[in-house]
Amino acid sequence: MSPHNASPSECPATTVPACLAEGEAPLVSVDGLHVWFALPSGRELHAVQGVSFDLERGVRLGLVGESGCGKTTTILSMMGLLPPSASVAGAVSPRARNILARGEQSVRSHRWTDIAMVFQGAMNSLNPVKTVGSQVVEAMEYHNVAHGEAARTRAGELFEMLGISAQSGARFPHEFSGGMRQRAAIAMALSCSPDVLLADEPTTALDVMVQAQIGELLVGLTRELGMAMVLVTHDLPLVAQLCERVAVMYAGKIVESGPMDAVFHRPRHPYTRMLFAATPDLYDKERVVSIPGAPPQLDRRIDGCAFAPRCDSASDRCRVQHPRLLDIGPQHKAACHAKDPGACT
Amino acid sequence: MSSIIESPEVQPVSDVGGEKEPSIGTFAIVWQVIRRRPSAAIGAAVLLLVIAISLLAPVIAPYGIHQQVGPVYGPPSFKHPLGLDDGGIDMLSLIMWGGRVSLTVGLAATVVAIFVGGTIGILTGYLGGVTDTVLMRFTDYFIVIPVIPLMMVIAVLWGPSLSHIILVIGLLQWTTTARIVRAQVRSVRERVYIRRARAIGGGHLRVVLRHVLPQVAPLLVANTVLTIAIAVFSETALAFLGLSDPSRTSWGTMIQHAFARTAASTGAWWAIVYPGVAVAIVIMACYLLGQAIEDAMNPRLKVSHVSVRTFGVRLPPREGDS
Amino acid sequence: MTATSTSYILKRIVFALVTVFVAVTLNFVLFRALPGSAVTDLSRVPNASPQLVHALKVQFGLDKSKTQQYFVYLKQLTHGNLGISYTDQQPVNSLLFRALKNSVPMALLGAIVAIVIGTGSGILATWRRDTLLSYGTTFSAMVFYSLPTQWLGLMLILLFGGLLPTSGMTNEFLLHPSGWQHASDYLSHMILPSLTYALTLYGQYALVVRSAMLETMGEDYVLTARAKGLPMRRIMLRHVFRNAMLPFATLVALSLGFIAGGAVLIETVFSWPGIGRLIYQSVLSRDYPVLQGAFLVITLSVIFFNFVADLLYFKIDPRISQ
Repeated sequence: MSPHNASPSECPATTVPACLAEGEAPLVSVDGLHVWFALPSGRELHAVQGVSFDLERGVRLGLVGESGCGKTTTILSMMGLLPPSASVAGAVSPRARNILARGEQSVRSHRWTDIAMVFQGAMNSLNPVKTVGSQVVEAMEYHNVAHGEAARTRAGELFEMLGISAQSGARFPHEFSGGMRQRAAIAMALSCSPDVLLADEPTTALDVMVQAQIGELLVGLTRELGMAMVLVTHDLPLVAQLCERVAVMYAGKIVESGPMDAVFHRPRHPYTRMLFAATPDLYDKERVVSIPGAPPQLDRRIDGCAFAPRCDSASDRCRVQHPRLLDIGPQHKAACHAKDPGACT
Repeated sequence: MSSIIESPEVQPVSDVGGEKEPSIGTFAIVWQVIRRRPSAAIGAAVLLLVIAISLLAPVIAPYGIHQQVGPVYGPPSFKHPLGLDDGGIDMLSLIMWGGRVSLTVGLAATVVAIFVGGTIGILTGYLGGVTDTVLMRFTDYFIVIPVIPLMMVIAVLWGPSLSHIILVIGLLQWTTTARIVRAQVRSVRERVYIRRARAIGGGHLRVVLRHVLPQVAPLLVANTVLTIAIAVFSETALAFLGLSDPSRTSWGTMIQHAFARTAASTGAWWAIVYPGVAVAIVIMACYLLGQAIEDAMNPRLKVSHVSVRTFGVRLPPREGDS
Repeated sequence: MTATSTSYILKRIVFALVTVFVAVTLNFVLFRALPGSAVTDLSRVPNASPQLVHALKVQFGLDKSKTQQYFVYLKQLTHGNLGISYTDQQPVNSLLFRALKNSVPMALLGAIVAIVIGTGSGILATWRRDTLLSYGTTFSAMVFYSLPTQWLGLMLILLFGGLLPTSGMTNEFLLHPSGWQHASDYLSHMILPSLTYALTLYGQYALVVRSAMLETMGEDYVLTARAKGLPMRRIMLRHVFRNAMLPFATLVALSLGFIAGGAVLIETVFSWPGIGRLIYQSVLSRDYPVLQGAFLVITLSVIFFNFVADLLYFKIDPRISQ
């Protein structure tokens, strides 16, 4: 099975894992998340506008959209990794308690132990003057997961699990290839056994074969460890390959979400349609996603649907009334006024 | 890496795929920095004020600088707020007139330094190869040599005159400019739109002037401002050592007079303090403005992941609000 | 040591030696081969006996061609012979040695104080950004960076003239001082010049440390450290400071190289008998052999410390050692 000729229905990712029981309580729940950034001009950028989703054990959620749609900001806010110019509203609740309630104070103690993150292009996400192993050990020792020799041993085990030798811990980041660095970063993220792993473009800037390996690795980990995962990327074939659920974001809001299969084969929102249509061949990764027009500025109020100016099925109602996220199928939601199935296929 | 961007001042106009040339002009950038950063605004304002006062000195100076209006080292008074020097001359007028010389030397020397450094930087950065190696080794030597002693030797050999001082200072300050310009030119040289311009058939000079220079210009402006500070200081150093033109009063010669004529032991602190303060004000203004521009152009400073203040928490907006 | 690290060190040694050679040659050119300058004849020692003149001519081959003189010069250098001073007919090398013995402790003390205060100040300025403390430390660093060195020295004389000695290195009127008396006399004379040196340097260091810290705070791995749940203090010390110190360490090594240059301005203000003042006096009295020797010593010192800085960087930055 290679990534070059898969469609979602054939992909192992869509098989519902046996550990997931119907109605199980979510591992983490994001509820009505809003993020604003204060701009130097005095205005505010409303980057995330009421995003909500739940993650159960073992679930992999793909978060896709154009640059600037707010997907990265969303996952950064889940860990409270925001600058002082930001404000949040809403709840991020691992184990049913909102960790954003008191801002940085309340969220810091949950970092890495409840939610951990792997960043894009681990080129620089590892400290260049410290050995890779010491950085993994640092996390474990700070969170009292393990100390000294035990920590080093565990770091070695994590490395092995991710396909790099246990001795690589003694090396510095610049001695690793991009793929190895990313694996080390994942090992570091797993070191304190988090419930949720957030991955921001984890395979961009890696070559195709390595991408596939890392992808399979992540799938395996969520199964074995019962972890939930959010994968943020603009790489649609990758999401189709790895995730069983997907949420499409546009202008700070989720416009469509649901099982990968349903969203891919029966997209309801015109934006989703255009996104997937722009990538007809899942193995044709050279194609740049490009939809005419540009996303709206988020520093001002938008009346009606944010996508209306670029939408091919926009009606007058779309320009005036903002569409809400409504169920259109089993666990499949979309925020679009055009309910006619004919208009959307 | 997706990090949160704080407040980029300069946004290149970018399009998807391929690099478009940043289209914002140099002066627009500098003006934007001044508007957005209070330190830059203060620096620029102070510099302009000092330059204005110096230019207007013949008109606004209360007394002549060869005119004795009181006793030797007369203390500050209402009529002479900065006191009198060792010749009984009004210090306030001396400072105003002295500024003309100090600033002229500073600015002129900077022009020399920037011109030489900029040219060498562009040549080495753009042409590369043997020119680069040879000129850079030459530059390295100038960095290694002790600047003030060399200035002293040349000043002594050449004789004290303002134009010589200007050349001496300017010809020994070009190295930082050359390095900065070279680094910028090298990074710009490889960009797509430069190669496009060459492919279309632009001659070297044309490409340099129309495409490379605008990219290099903002950092060059910052470097120029900082060089002014060093040049003004160098003038005071040479004047202090008696190597400048003694017939032209500058802030540097005023400090030197105070030293040579034992103002300190006489207790005439005003003869020492005020010229030094004038120099310090100019240098600090240059530093504020120059550093602010450099910081604005430095992409690594646009983000910071460590801070004491943290993000805020709000109540969710009501349903229906966007 | 790995093969690559040995080769790196060897390359640096070769580079240093080449620069030394270039410096020696240019030194020769500067002081002897310049046409028309009065420096060509090292035997032109005023009031020299005919025997001395003859001996010098022989030693330095002054009756031979310039190229031959060059090689003789090199040969004499290897013997440590730098000629005879015009002013007092002393061998240049002993003059320089004595001067260095006086300059180095004063400058070294000042440099160490500057490093300590500068680093602390720079860290404070970035520790709690946007607080009064941080603005205050930054402002203070900028002020001291802007004050002209000689003026700062004069101000210290004004302020502390009554409490501390302001001139010379020792009190000549102290007859037969005991070891302790001599030491305390020496130190008390050294306080003001070293303090001036320290204050001038600290501003620059503090600003550099601050810049380096601010740049590092935007690095991706700092965000990773924050994501790992580490507290701010640990992030600042173990990640930000540790990495920001890399360029600062080499800056310090480089500025140590300039200590041999003496601080011309400071030594003039305080009449400190060091190499800076020696250079100044030699410039005024056109004592070219001394100047030539001093330039050589300073250039060699700078090259040496450049080399040390390279080695240091090699040791502390793992990216280079591989």
